[in-house]
Amino acid sequence: MNSTPVIDVARLNLTYGDHHAVKDVSLQVRSGELYALLGTNGAGKTSTLEIVEGHRAATSGTVRVFGQDPRDRRAVRPRTGIMLQESGFSPDLTVRESVRLIGKLTGRTDTVEHVLGIVDLTSKAGTKVSQLSGGEKRRLDFATAVYGAPELIFLDEPTTGLDIQSRDALWSSVDKLRAAGSTIVLTTHYLEEAQQRADRIGLMHRGTLHREGTVSELTRTLPAVIRFTLTNTTPALPLRATCENDGSCFIETHHLQRDMYTLLGWAQYHAVELCDLEAGPTRLDDVFRAIGDD
Amino acid sequence: MLSIARSELIQIFRNRLVLVSGFVMPAAVSAFFIRQHELFASVASIGYIAAIVLFTVGAFGFYTTAVTTLASRRQNLFLKRLRSTAAGDAGILVGLLLPLSVIALTQVVVILTVLGAVAGLPGNIALLATAVLATVIMMLGLGLATAGLTNSPEHAQVTTLPVTLGVIGVASWVGITGTERFTLLKRLLPGGSATELVVNAWNGGAAVTGSLLLLAPTLAWVAIAGVLASRLFQWEPRR
Repeated sequence: MNSTPVIDVARLNLTYGDHHAVKDVSLQVRSGELYALLGTNGAGKTSTLEIVEGHRAATSGTVRVFGQDPRDRRAVRPRTGIMLQESGFSPDLTVRESVRLIGKLTGRTDTVEHVLGIVDLTSKAGTKVSQLSGGEKRRLDFATAVYGAPELIFLDEPTTGLDIQSRDALWSSVDKLRAAGSTIVLTTHYLEEAQQRADRIGLMHRGTLHREGTVSELTRTLPAVIRFTLTNTTPALPLRATCENDGSCFIETHHLQRDMYTLLGWAQYHAVELCDLEAGPTRLDDVFRAIGDD
Repeated sequence: MLSIARSELIQIFRNRLVLVSGFVMPAAVSAFFIRQHELFASVASIGYIAAIVLFTVGAFGFYTTAVTTLASRRQNLFLKRLRSTAAGDAGILVGLLLPLSVIALTQVVVILTVLGAVAGLPGNIALLATAVLATVIMMLGLGLATAGLTNSPEHAQVTTLPVTLGVIGVASWVGITGTERFTLLKRLLPGGSATELVVNAWNGGAAVTGSLLLLAPTLAWVAIAGVLASRLFQWEPRR
């Protein structure tokens, strides 16, 4: 990965009438990285993505993709693959015809058989799009996005409707593309996918880019949580905990290992059983919830 | 552009509803007019029959199918899909409408050839060809403009009615009653001057230069439709 920005967004604004959908968003996506743009519903991420993809004009601000205006389709699209959130294929065309058409229009070079092999749709090549399942349509969409292995790929909810095998296969393909140098921009509602795969994450909320950084940068701002249940009356806990009447307790900590050691030592010394004990670092879900509470 | 046109042609021939309502029905109606040409010639002229079959194909076939196609491709996000490639907007529209235009022109040529074989050749074939081309272009422009007001293929059944019934009505009015009375009104209505041009070209006898002036109102409608289309046409479904 190098620091050359493939996408450079500066002070982006979008308004629909009185509604300010995107407010002063600035972000950069570097060559070779996987950048996840996440957000609550109505946060403005789809609008932002559509502007960056070149599907929509901004009210103000600048967007550059490979140093060009993304609406200059002849300049940008041969280097860009786009997986749309919704299908957009003609129901009367077959899978092969759809990939051939869209692939040819991208201006990139590849073979239909190759990309159908990537998404395991070779056996469906002669099937009309109207006869595909929802998951197969998503795979077809992915096939057209990766046709010709573009330098930049937008994946908008890529795994929605996919079974676990298809999901794994898709991410395996993404890994190969990244190894070959492709830059990925991802939006997803599956936060664990972003947590596992994104180099950096932008969290949008109410039209603004609320937070941005690596997963550890985003999660370190919130404490980790230790949860357990006490079944009997016990001596006073060694750490500050919040306990309910049913005995369930949680401890928030910025020093997970040290406080776990303290808690387990206390439990062993007093022969206390910590039922349903679980502990872990802060997850992206927690950051998300914290944003929602703001 | 040609790859879009090719895929559009495939879609047209795979969709029986479009095939029947857009192409078979206008051809059947035209066949009826040709079969009854002596009856219609006694009411108006053979030129009127030429004009009415031109507008039957142009309005019921070409225009309606163009609006329905554009609305359908927009609704199922096919237009957005095409715009996610390197294809330009003009190339996409030309690719989508080229097969319909070629089919409509071919239909008109075949039908008028049959009419000529049955009822006698037209007086001025070059003028007739000009009139046919101008009419198809006008219907294309009106189709683009109407597509801007049409949310779905179902909605097209309503939004296409005013133009379809309007131009057929104007063609019948002008073709049967001529333009001696209400001359300016008849020529300014969409399809009015085009009908007069077709009638003159088929029946012969009218001065060519005078007839060519009748192209102006038709081309003006093309310009008006173009302006409306540029303002109204949407690439994505309304939110």
